[in-house]
Amino acid sequence: MELTHKDVASILAIIDGAQHLDEIELTFSGLRLHVRRGSAGDGGARFAQSAPAAVPQVQAQPQPQAAVQAAPAPLVAAQAAEGEVIIRAPMLGTFYRASSPGEKAFVEVGQKVKAHDSVGVIEVMKLFNSIQAGVDGTVVRIEVENASLVEFDQALIVIAKD
Amino acid sequence: MSKPPFKRIFIANRGEIAVRIIRACQSLGIESVVAVSTADRDSLAAQMATRAICIGPAAASLSYLKPEALVTAALGTGCEAVHPGYGFLSERASFSRLCSESGLVFIGPSPEAIESMGDKLTAVRLADAAKVPRVPGSDKVTSKEVAEREAKRIGYPFLFKASAGGGGRGMRLVRNSAELAPAMESATAEAQAAFGDSTLYMEKYIESARHIEIQILADAHGNVIHLGERDCSTQRRHQKLIEEAPSPFISDEVRKTLSEAAVRLAQRVDYRGAGTVEFVYDEQTGKAYFLEMNTRIQVEHPVTEMVTGRDLVVEQIRIAAGEPISFSQEEVKVTGHAIECRINAEDAARNFAPGPGRITEWNAPGEKGVRVDSHCYSGYLVPPYYDSLLAKLIVHAEDRDATVKKMLGSLKQFVVRGVPTTIGFHHEVLSHDDFRAGRVNTRWVEEKFFPSRATGHKG
Repeated sequence: MELTHKDVASILAIIDGAQHLDEIELTFSGLRLHVRRGSAGDGGARFAQSAPAAVPQVQAQPQPQAAVQAAPAPLVAAQAAEGEVIIRAPMLGTFYRASSPGEKAFVEVGQKVKAHDSVGVIEVMKLFNSIQAGVDGTVVRIEVENASLVEFDQALIVIAKD
Repeated sequence: MSKPPFKRIFIANRGEIAVRIIRACQSLGIESVVAVSTADRDSLAAQMATRAICIGPAAASLSYLKPEALVTAALGTGCEAVHPGYGFLSERASFSRLCSESGLVFIGPSPEAIESMGDKLTAVRLADAAKVPRVPGSDKVTSKEVAEREAKRIGYPFLFKASAGGGGRGMRLVRNSAELAPAMESATAEAQAAFGDSTLYMEKYIESARHIEIQILADAHGNVIHLGERDCSTQRRHQKLIEEAPSPFISDEVRKTLSEAAVRLAQRVDYRGAGTVEFVYDEQTGKAYFLEMNTRIQVEHPVTEMVTGRDLVVEQIRIAAGEPISFSQEEVKVTGHAIECRINAEDAARNFAPGPGRITEWNAPGEKGVRVDSHCYSGYLVPPYYDSLLAKLIVHAEDRDATVKKMLGSLKQFVVRGVPTTIGFHHEVLSHDDFRAGRVNTRWVEEKFFPSRATGHKG
């Protein structure tokens, strides 16, 4: 399933036009599109994919308005719901949910975490960077597959704050 | 179409050159993955490439200058080769090495070739060995005493240059013996601070110089060919503004001498890919000397492409895949004349201050013989984090006069609103009598053009 920039733009247009719709999730083979309306009303989209590198990962956003906007529209307008915190990738690399293969995952959905707890590691050329929860709370969602390539700033894990 | 040289290429660059490389990939049937910082997520390259991948925040030091992030991204997206473009990591030997060690083909020369040409003193020695004349100068100067002795031999004025240098940093002009000691001290300090290496050498200062460079291509099969020269004498503070081919100044004899010298040097360092050997041509003595070799594709490469009809980026990619250059030296024919103007987001009236911002209108000229290499469009935000190049306007016509005329017309048609540009400045330069007559050296813009403009001279 190939999704073009144009497809995304039309999906965004539909969502933008709908007044009651604030969030939508579409799932295709190996591709998941999750769009949530931001507080300022500007839409943003991000694709997650289950198979690393096999299909091109598309990132899309509405064309910037030619007018007065001072800064580029944020790519991921998707904001955490009330009381939720999104842990984002501080660097590009390979995301692992456990410290080594065969080990238990750092966290699972529903698990309680403390701010300093590790929730995953990102490997950049054999250098492992520990990712910490940053807040006390409960794991709500895990947004990426184990051992997948994550981009800088990609949403990894969503935590509901205590 | 024959089998593409690679399935998928990673582009470790941004701006117009990323777009240029994607176009070459498209023409070869190669997929492209472009690295983007958060500031470039909606760039034209990101929209055109098969895929864009965010490698880090806006600051280049945390994104486009991060070898590990780039290599991880290239491997993670299943790329076979990495094109470094120009600037950023393109001439970093350690990046070329990291790519090879990670199983990626670096589209460029070996780390050894980059290293030997990157260290200016090593490059000068190699040039010497390849019988490529260097500017009269010294080897490394370790003390004031050595410098004074060498100054007597070379003569004043001369330049102190940083061996690890580039971009004019660690460089000092010395006009007399009283200036020597303080200049040496400040050059040493600047070189140490900028490059972590304070090694200096001395070179005779050529007062009236033209910048001539030879484009070469070399493959893994022992073929080394040149594609003629580019004249990049129209500069401001050592930054090229306008480039053209052929040079309106040098004779066929000089052209032949320099081309052969460039090929000899490339052979000497077992060069691979596209490269440029730069020379400084002394207008007073009629002698040309080796300046340095750039081991990457250059900003001004389209000038050569226009007059030869060859695609240098496509050749780079093929060569990296182990293919021979797709044409021979005999098949390289220079036809007509080409000029390139670098259109920057700068305000010429305010000392070329960069002016990033939102482009509200972008209307580039286009007709036969007019080429625009750019990543800009109406609505594009020129980010403040990178260089100010917006576009390269390249014009090709049957001779220099016709090319200048056509360029003037194209500059008039080029409409950009929202950010300052150097379009108007280029129009003035190309209208000037000196430029039209080819009477331009590397100090002309600052010493002749600006003063003549201030006094109301009509060019």
